[in-house]
Amino acid sequence: MRAITLFAATLAMSISTAAQAGGSHGGGHGAATGQPGQADAVSRTINVVMHDNYYEPESVSVSPGETVKFVVENRGRLVHEFNLGTPAMHEAHQKKVQMMVAHGVIQGGSINHERMNMDMGNGHSMKHDDPNSVLLEPGESAEVIWTFPDDVSLEFACNVPGHYQAGMYGEVTSE
Amino acid sequence: MKRLVLVTLLASSVLSPVVSAQQLMEDTTERKQALRVWGAQFEELEYRYSDDDEELGVWKADLFYGTDEFKARWLSNGEYAIDEQAYHTLENQLIGQVPVSEFFDARAGIRFDTPEGPDRTYAVVGLSGLAPQWFEIDASLYASQDGDVSAEFDAEYELLITNHWILVASVDASIAFSEDREIGVGKGLVSTETGLKLSYDLIDRSFSPYIGVVHERKYGDTADLARDQSSGIEDWFAVVGARLSF
Amino acid sequence: MIRFSLLAGLFALIVPPLALAGEYDLTVDRVKIDTGEFVKEGIGYNGASPGPVLRFREGEEVTINVTNNLDEMTSIHWHGLILPFTQDGVPGISFPGIPAGKTFTYRFPVVQSGTYWFHSHSGFQEPDGAFGAIVIEPEAREPFRYDREYVVQLTDKHPHSGDRIMRNLKTSADYYNRQQQTVGEFFSDISEQGFMTTLRDRLAWGDMRMMKADVEDVQGFVGMINGKGPEQNWTGLFEPGERVRLRFINSSAMTYFDVRIPGLDMTVVQADGNNVQPVTVEEFRIGVAETYDVIVRPRDAQAYTIFAESMGRSGYARATLAPESGMQAPVPALREPARLTMADMGGSHVMSHGDGANMADIDHSGMEGMDHGNMAAMGHGEMNHGEMNHGDMAMMNGNARDPFYAPGSGLTPTAASGGKFLSYADLRAQQPLYEDREPTREVELRLTGNMERYSWSINGVKYEDADPIRLRYGERVRFKFVNETMMTHPMHLHGMWSILDVGADQWNPVKHTINVQPGTTVYMETEVDAAGQWAFHCHLSYHAAAGMFRKVIVEGGPESMSSALDSVNATAGGDL
Repeated sequence: MRAITLFAATLAMSISTAAQAGGSHGGGHGAATGQPGQADAVSRTINVVMHDNYYEPESVSVSPGETVKFVVENRGRLVHEFNLGTPAMHEAHQKKVQMMVAHGVIQGGSINHERMNMDMGNGHSMKHDDPNSVLLEPGESAEVIWTFPDDVSLEFACNVPGHYQAGMYGEVTSE
Repeated sequence: MKRLVLVTLLASSVLSPVVSAQQLMEDTTERKQALRVWGAQFEELEYRYSDDDEELGVWKADLFYGTDEFKARWLSNGEYAIDEQAYHTLENQLIGQVPVSEFFDARAGIRFDTPEGPDRTYAVVGLSGLAPQWFEIDASLYASQDGDVSAEFDAEYELLITNHWILVASVDASIAFSEDREIGVGKGLVSTETGLKLSYDLIDRSFSPYIGVVHERKYGDTADLARDQSSGIEDWFAVVGARLSF
Repeated sequence: MIRFSLLAGLFALIVPPLALAGEYDLTVDRVKIDTGEFVKEGIGYNGASPGPVLRFREGEEVTINVTNNLDEMTSIHWHGLILPFTQDGVPGISFPGIPAGKTFTYRFPVVQSGTYWFHSHSGFQEPDGAFGAIVIEPEAREPFRYDREYVVQLTDKHPHSGDRIMRNLKTSADYYNRQQQTVGEFFSDISEQGFMTTLRDRLAWGDMRMMKADVEDVQGFVGMINGKGPEQNWTGLFEPGERVRLRFINSSAMTYFDVRIPGLDMTVVQADGNNVQPVTVEEFRIGVAETYDVIVRPRDAQAYTIFAESMGRSGYARATLAPESGMQAPVPALREPARLTMADMGGSHVMSHGDGANMADIDHSGMEGMDHGNMAAMGHGEMNHGEMNHGDMAMMNGNARDPFYAPGSGLTPTAASGGKFLSYADLRAQQPLYEDREPTREVELRLTGNMERYSWSINGVKYEDADPIRLRYGERVRFKFVNETMMTHPMHLHGMWSILDVGADQWNPVKHTINVQPGTTVYMETEVDAAGQWAFHCHLSYHAAAGMFRKVIVEGGPESMSSALDSVNATAGGDL
């Protein structure tokens, strides 16, 4: 039953955000997903641990409009991402991360920052600096502060190739 | 002192398995033996009808048993004239076969000819295998008990019309290095048999019926001997038969 | 009774006491196997072929009572399981075998998790149907998740018995090959490539007396999944949106399968029972005896076909994933039969009409070149971000070139969808099993044979004439496989892991069966950590039986282990 609900939600999301997701790789995903939060607005800290290849916890619930500080720690042996978005946004983002892997930016357990800054032409680089996500090497930790909209149905996901498909994502739902 | 004992103990425990590992069971299963294989087939089992209205039953059979290194083989072939109720030819060879190259085997053994008329026994040595461009080759050298030496050369080529319709072209030639007048063999090129057969693999490769034509011809002194006996020197046959393997 | 307690005592020595213990019973029976196209006598377990799925837990101490109801010897080998060699089930190497009418009790600790299988190691009982699946639940959480799982066990059921097939192949190596080049193909090649090119090509192959069509020795089989033929259509149910884990096991005697599920991406999470870093593909090739676990997520309430085409395209297996039983999806047509090229002959000296660019042997350095060097050389300045995502990516995904095939090989797989086809080069261990270290020595194994005589060997020597390969306990051996034949060989070392060198050092994937494609050199490393003696062979049934087989003796070892082994060995016969 839960799977079906999720499925329905996924479908709805992918329709509503398809245009945006296709349009840009950057942050600023609009009101449907929320926005980067201010540190002084944080009402709660949620610790998320990255393992190979799953999160702990695998679901988080937030209050409408709440600003949450996620403290994300990579306890695995591989590079992982924590990215807040809709399934459709994740799908679009996976292509970028795939490219980062193909170009050696992400190599199993490490990130090659030099390659990350490589100029890809057209003013693009493979920098991973969107406010809704962090990319962590093993042992690293980072924070993401996010203000959620009133009605939330998002996923936090790792878009390193294969990780999302293997199940490395969690749900963010409204309380 | 105690430590020393311990060390000795450890040392012996490390060393002893080396010995025991070598004493572990020997593989005496079939897998460790040479693979033994048998096969039996009729390369030809056919009815021939000649342009002189002669009817023949003809076979060429092969039974073997053995390993990659050595095979024992019984080769049998014959022509039975249906009207005369007599064997025109009846040859049986018992041979041993060993590989001599990647694609060729050497053979040696005995051949017994027991057709209508005088019998012959020959010693046989030969070579058989697959020549470049897929020609199946058999070459044999025979020496009879009377010292007459002859040779036979067979070549066969299979043309795949499809993977089931196969056109088989074959040439057999025999040559005598001395005359054996009693059995109608003259010196030189004795005879050829040329065949073209279209077969269809009906059941795997174990039953493949075919139709075809066969041309037999005698040459030189052998042809002269045949003319003296007022028998023909050339025949055309229509052929119906089957290749069988078991 | 005394013997039993002795054994129990021994195991107590080997492994720390464990709470988990399970007892399982298997009978080895004559069974009828119905493929939907023909019914044949075969051998199975507990009255069926395939046998049951044995479900163990990591850390469990298993006891398996195997009762032989046949009128001949039998045995069970637990393929891919790490266990004392006396429990490995190879007659003549691990134990004497299980005589007709007797029961043999296997006892071993389960020290791993994942998807494996078991099969008879006696005669041709395995091709005749004597196999089943093993699923081992891990102690820890797995690095992936799923809502339900299915074993998908493939086989190539042939109407002929194993003995008959062996005999036919020895009598005439092309007995079962119905994909040979015909007159028609000669003319169609002429119209495509011109007369002289075609003629030269035929003459070159004829000169070698080798066939381009020599991809599958044994054709005429029915591909089966979990005991069901294509018409019988094994079906696994799912709820839309669920994540489904499919445990693919290739239990074929001879057949490699190219597996796809049109409409679904498959994320490979495990290979040969060991977790790999997930890689999403549209199609993968599963060698004989390999296993791959994939996760699929069918989102729509429709049926999906699991389509497993044989590598040579002479047959296929088919099953269905559907939300309700009875639903089915279209079954794709078989693609054109594969044709070998000169590259597969290892004969780049005769390389014909620019079949492919030259590339060095697949060794360590070549692999690294593949991973990084080539990418770096692509000229990033000109690269357009948008295009990058699609066109170039497909190329990088390796469809153009798989380093585990000879450059220009006719066997190099491509996905029917045009998408990503799994390569060995994509496999990375999820978690290194061993500390990475330099190998202590290299052992070269040339895979050799004579197709025309259907004899197969290692370093030119058949098992019947071969001395054992001797390894020292504690060493790390680098095996160099050089395939000098024109056939693919799935090489399986018993008892110890095969760490496939894909150039990823500590992240090299850990397998039990390594495919070596024609005309290639492949390296694997083995931590020699299991005392005793073990089988090491090509897993194509008729290649193994024709001589591509070795005994490996591991000399030395820790005291407790080896003395225990000695005692168990001494009593092995008495347990019958």
